[in-house]
Amino acid sequence: MPERHADHPRETAATDFADIVRRYQAMVFSIAQHFLADRSEAEELAQDVFLQLHAALSTLKSEEHVRFWLRKVTAHRCIDHQRRRKLPQVGLDEAPEPIARAQASDPFLAKRLRQYVASLPEKPRLVVILRYQEDMMPEDIAEVLAMPLATVKSHLQRSLAMLREKVTRTMGEVAI
Amino acid sequence: MSTNPETNRMEDALKNALRREEVPDGFAERVMARVAQQEAAPSGVRQASWSGFFSRPLLRWAAFATVTASVVAGTFHYRAVQREREQGEVAKQQLMLALRIAGSKLQLAKARVNEINQPQTDGQPSIKRSRSHS
Repeated sequence: MPERHADHPRETAATDFADIVRRYQAMVFSIAQHFLADRSEAEELAQDVFLQLHAALSTLKSEEHVRFWLRKVTAHRCIDHQRRRKLPQVGLDEAPEPIARAQASDPFLAKRLRQYVASLPEKPRLVVILRYQEDMMPEDIAEVLAMPLATVKSHLQRSLAMLREKVTRTMGEVAI
Repeated sequence: MSTNPETNRMEDALKNALRREEVPDGFAERVMARVAQQEAAPSGVRQASWSGFFSRPLLRWAAFATVTASVVAGTFHYRAVQREREQGEVAKQQLMLALRIAGSKLQLAKARVNEINQPQTDGQPSIKRSRSHS
């Protein structure tokens, strides 16, 4: 956020707000998309987050604060959205038979991983998304999700083990 | 985060899978259109005025004081009604006791009158016998 906005956030013009939207739209949309695994629902949720941001902008004091706020509100809205509807869970039975060894950059593996991440329980799913999409440290994730650090680390370890097992079962002895 | 090579490869694969995605075309424009729509909506204005009302410290304190005074007055009124009810209950019990006593006295008097009016087997009124007894 430009420095002039920090002192007078109330005077932020519509064009400046549009700049904020463009700056953070990929972050907000991607968190929602990876969590919900549905582009149209992710867009609707992301729009709602930015509408809420517009109403709360005067209370936010810095660029860092805006980013923190967006991540926090997006995460909470994702959980609320999830509780209103039941996501289709990806069962291991639906996955194809093992194929050749996969590489970390394999697009097929990436697609499978996104599906498996979307099938994780809601809190571990958010932790994984914030860790690997946003490259956030566990301490920062704990702050955004208002969760003990030990819980964040536990979610990460368990999720990694679960994802590895799913990938191994469906794609064979992969190179990851 | 981990020194385990397998974990590192898994983390790399996750970073690759969870890269930020392209937003749908026109996303920012749609957000701005909704913002404009919300600002123009009359309900939005009403909401803003109400939130503005409660955001004023003096009015917020006045509302708080009114609610507090109402609660205190309600509590006093409730206690007064309770006290009146208890006093009424005591008076009712006293009245019932008085009526019971009066009833028993009346029964006693009635029995006495009956006893006086009852004719004697020797033709003398029982009052004389009772006088002689006394």
